[in-house]
Amino acid sequence: MQFRNRPFDTAPVALKIEKLTVRTANDDDAVKILDQIDVTIREGETVCLVGESGSGKSVTSLAIMGLLPKGALEVAGGRVELDGMNLLDLDASTMRKLRASRISMIFQEPMTALNPVMKVGDQIEEVLDSHTKLPAREKKKRVIDIMEQVHLPDVERIYGSYPHQLSGGQRQRIMIAMALILEPKLLIADEPTTALDVTTQNQVLKLIAELQERHGTAVLFITHDMGVVAEIADTVYVMRHGKIVESAPIETLLRSPQKDYTRNLLEAVPSLIPRDARPLADGAPALDVEGLTKVYDTRSFFGRGRETRAAQDVRFAIRPGRTLGIVGESGSGKSTVARCIMRLIDPTDGRITVGKADIAKLGRAALQPHRKHIQIVFQDPFRSLNPRWKVGDSLIEGPLNFGQSRKQALDHARELMELVGLPPDALGRYPHQFSGGQRQRIAIARAIAMRPDVLVADEAVSALDVSVQAQVLKLLDDLQEKLGIAILFITHDLRVAAQICDDVVVMQHGRIVEHDTAGNVLSRPQHEYTRALIDAAPGRRWDFANFRELATA
Amino acid sequence: MLGYIIRRILAVIPVMVIVAIFVFLLLRLTPGDPAAIIAGDSATPAQIQRIRESLGLADPLHIQFITWMGQLAQGDLGTSIISNQPVTRLIGQRIWPTLQIGTLTIILSVLIAVPLGVLAAWRHRTWADYAVMTFSVLGFSIPVFVIGYIFIKIFAIDLRWLPVQGYTPPGQDLQAFFTRAVLPCLTLATIYIALIARMTRASLLEVLGEDYVRTARAKGVKEHVVLFRHALRNAAVPIMTIIGTGFALLISGVVVTESVFNIPGIGRLTVDAILARDYPVIQAMILLTSAIYVFINLLIDISYTFFDPRIRY
Repeated sequence: MQFRNRPFDTAPVALKIEKLTVRTANDDDAVKILDQIDVTIREGETVCLVGESGSGKSVTSLAIMGLLPKGALEVAGGRVELDGMNLLDLDASTMRKLRASRISMIFQEPMTALNPVMKVGDQIEEVLDSHTKLPAREKKKRVIDIMEQVHLPDVERIYGSYPHQLSGGQRQRIMIAMALILEPKLLIADEPTTALDVTTQNQVLKLIAELQERHGTAVLFITHDMGVVAEIADTVYVMRHGKIVESAPIETLLRSPQKDYTRNLLEAVPSLIPRDARPLADGAPALDVEGLTKVYDTRSFFGRGRETRAAQDVRFAIRPGRTLGIVGESGSGKSTVARCIMRLIDPTDGRITVGKADIAKLGRAALQPHRKHIQIVFQDPFRSLNPRWKVGDSLIEGPLNFGQSRKQALDHARELMELVGLPPDALGRYPHQFSGGQRQRIAIARAIAMRPDVLVADEAVSALDVSVQAQVLKLLDDLQEKLGIAILFITHDLRVAAQICDDVVVMQHGRIVEHDTAGNVLSRPQHEYTRALIDAAPGRRWDFANFRELATA
Repeated sequence: MLGYIIRRILAVIPVMVIVAIFVFLLLRLTPGDPAAIIAGDSATPAQIQRIRESLGLADPLHIQFITWMGQLAQGDLGTSIISNQPVTRLIGQRIWPTLQIGTLTIILSVLIAVPLGVLAAWRHRTWADYAVMTFSVLGFSIPVFVIGYIFIKIFAIDLRWLPVQGYTPPGQDLQAFFTRAVLPCLTLATIYIALIARMTRASLLEVLGEDYVRTARAKGVKEHVVLFRHALRNAAVPIMTIIGTGFALLISGVVVTESVFNIPGIGRLTVDAILARDYPVIQAMILLTSAIYVFINLLIDISYTFFDPRIRY
């Protein structure tokens, strides 16, 4: 593993945060969200701020920008020093002038961070309008120039495009162009690649590093992804509950973390080394998919219809007690396959055999009795549970539909709570009273309340912090052992796939390009797309949990 | 884009046919015999029967309908039973005051309400927000005729700034038109200002929480640009819907205002027609109001594509 290991002790300081404290506003018993944090960033340096959700990373960045949500959070003390000024003392108008010209920021969601009703060229140009007085032609030249620097193709066309006409990666490049057009001293990047595919993430990380080199920008990079940290950081600050737990140069931190919390955080990073496949049990597969195809017709009024083949000739089978992973990037068709199998959407062609019945073509009524054999857990536990229903009601709804008595269903629900590691009184509470990880446990309990033979997990741990992720993966494993269910695990994260899958299917453009045991796919990939995916996985040469290089790199 | 507009226009046809069927049935199936009304209290059954035949009311229902639709297709809305004038001419004389007052009212409402709504959203939970919201509740709750008489009392009788009532066509004397139009427009506008300001505030509050507004602030864009260029345009679709529906309601709701301010518009025409059971005129008025509704909704739908490039059905 090649770390950046560049010395910065002699470089001038770009930004110095001293004893910054932020608390909730308008509250008698104000809670401290940030508690006396100190961070120093030098010119040309990349400082990574890592921590789990709620640790205060994003609040730190918003406090520097002077963009804390009004009426909700306020600075209670400390200094943020840039160019000899304390940013916290500046009035609104002076602070506004510094944004984008001295400090700029890029955000996590390129989908929502750009104004959907404005052309992207105009959005970049707006930065110049706000801070400079350039003639129109000069402005356009500057915009085109920065768009070329962020390696956007076909710049003239993209200049006049709206955000929804661009891909996620292109949108993030537009954000970067906007942030760097005035060559600010400091760039704050708040999870800028979290919403992107690995290959796109890789390109965007390289782009930020390239522009940083060219313009000598200091970068404050906020992320929860240790792999990304290993690739790009010079210095790492670990945050927890609004405090800095530990800070060190990247290699020092990864090799010999000083604090327990940092050790735990690193140990929770799932390894890319696949687990051994479990012995193949006898018997018929619980789920058998053959020739599954889904075609979307886009009909237009005047023009001819267009066909989009979201899934084509997909075939695989899962035996009871085993886990099959489908990996691929967004648009590869993995979620389409999951939805077809659940019959949430209708497949165009193919067979889906659950137990003995082919459910691919069954009508609504005929399908009903088969529904309980196959259940799904979705990605976002914040949106997949009805917020107005008590957890117990969500859990027993399915069993009641299949003729269980209320008492039976509730008794079973109480057992399930214990099984997924939640207290029995959780049944009487509402989803918002639980953390993300607990909610995902509830979602899993809801799925297995139906006693299914097949469980489909669609990105079921992607929205969770790594430590929580590890617990939920373990839970799935334990449940599988006890109940013998077959799991279809959809994920974009190769590390997660390596931890939980016996077999892996790699999808690209709606087709399966590789299908083998997890060990073979991840250690000896045959297809070039699989190799590209593995190569793009950040920090893949480092064994985080053991604080050293991977033995077989 | 063009395809979308053409499809929207074609979709208007079936809507209008259904409206025509409803209007036809509504009047034929409600109790009350126009022939008896025309003939007067002292008419004999034979006289009534003769009048009925001359009006075509003696034919079977479906024949009446076909005849009526045939006339409609030629732009013939029939003849008023009372004044014996063609209905098209009656409407032609009366529609301009209504349209002028209506358009002026909606322009006035938008010009006042949108900035108020923006102010309330921007200064969320401050006295400015509460003031706008209080005004909005008042605007909703006070009946139009009360507001009208209060305005007349203050501005026309006490202060003598403006005439009490009446109407002058703008072609004849533009200044006289405006001085006479101000009070009815303000009166009508109150409720629409309340409605549009509320919708603007709600819609903008939602948009102000979006990521791209944070992005705009992070770019160092001036606050008024954030509000009007980034936020307001994204909030425009629901605001446009309210403005359009408001305008359509306005045209059909001018009845009271026209009575209070003595304006010879279609509102008064409708009231007179209803009181006199002038069936052809009532029919034509319902059709016309529906057509205005449909047409304005069409305009709103098309305006969406202008505000939001993602809308391409």
